[in-house]
Amino acid sequence: MTEFEREDGTTRDELVQRVALMEAMIAEGRQYTGRNAWIFVLWGLVDLTAWAWQNYVPVFGGRWAWPICLPAGVVLTLAGKMLQKSDKGYSRSGVCSRVMGVWGMMGLAMGIYVASAILTHFSWQYSYIAGLLMMLGMAHAISAMFLRWRMQGWVAAVYWAGGVAIFVCNSWKATNAIMLIEMGVVMVLFGLYAMGREPKRSGLQGGCA
Amino acid sequence: MTDMERKDGTTRDELVQRVALMEAMIAEGRRSTARWGWVFVMWGLIYFAAMAWVIFLPFKAWAWPVCVAVGVVVSVVKGRRQRASGRSESQRTRSIGAVWQVFGVAITLYIIGAITSHHVNVPAYNATILFFVGMAHGTSARILRWGAQGLAAAIWWACGIATFFFTTQNEIIAIFLVASFFGMILFGLYAMWLERRRAAALEQHHA
Repeated sequence: MTEFEREDGTTRDELVQRVALMEAMIAEGRQYTGRNAWIFVLWGLVDLTAWAWQNYVPVFGGRWAWPICLPAGVVLTLAGKMLQKSDKGYSRSGVCSRVMGVWGMMGLAMGIYVASAILTHFSWQYSYIAGLLMMLGMAHAISAMFLRWRMQGWVAAVYWAGGVAIFVCNSWKATNAIMLIEMGVVMVLFGLYAMGREPKRSGLQGGCA
Repeated sequence: MTDMERKDGTTRDELVQRVALMEAMIAEGRRSTARWGWVFVMWGLIYFAAMAWVIFLPFKAWAWPVCVAVGVVVSVVKGRRQRASGRSESQRTRSIGAVWQVFGVAITLYIIGAITSHHVNVPAYNATILFFVGMAHGTSARILRWGAQGLAAAIWWACGIATFFFTTQNEIIAIFLVASFFGMILFGLYAMWLERRRAAALEQHHA
């Protein structure tokens, strides 16, 4: 193996360095997810609040629950990110920027999708609600593949299963229960898991902003 | 700048190397998408073919299953052949592959779920499909920093918004045709043209 050399002239040492760099990038990417996992917790709580408001205290402007809670979630997310950015000493690797790209695009797509559906009064359709879960599942699955993170892959599978279950069950009661479990419980639990576990596991000094 | 060293001990040379590596990966990712440009063209044409079948030919119920099945078979066979041709793949290329694979799984699950439970042909269903494609294009564009693909994503999303507002059968067909033509076929042709131009330049260089 000491004289190992690839056809394109890459030496073994160079390959080892590249693999080490990629492993470091993946670890940084996971740490990035862990560092931003508060967003999952926040959005889980936002969804739970809106859901509880709409279902338990509808007399206090129940139909405004989502139109108020969703923008509030966006404002809180932006405020949190601004506070976080002021922390110095965080690098950004290729994997981090890709994971950021995935979630950025998911946020943008979902923002436009939700706003359009609410404006046109189609947000009651099962296809719309299943679509939300499938999109979330897509973002989790892509991120899981980038980070080779099995736990996040399972989360994606749970979201997709929820999306399909909404179609299969075909009832409002079941849809409400699925949304409550997926948007509230799964999101919050995964957020807490990522927040608590990844900084310890990756063992990196820096991480991504 | 020669003595520049970051707090984490990374030297300037290492940073320059990293940037060069990332730029090379982005370029390789774009080339890879360009090599797969035929897939976009093919799926755009499949949409047109299926719609034409539904409008003009008998056995309308078979239009989509047959066209999609043909598309899947051609994609898999030709894709395997292309992979077997032995081009090396960078990490970014694999990331783009991951985006489109995940998109394929998600849209298949969604469509099967909707069809089996009779939830198709409602505005939210149509919009969701358009948004899925837009999200895959958008994510790929963001990773490759590729404006043209970003434009394709914007076209799919704009058409997705339009399906919420224009809900008659004819309007939805027109919206899907616009999205397929501009966001799939034209983008695919552009990607294929880029790949051909690159191959010609490479040949000229070797000559």
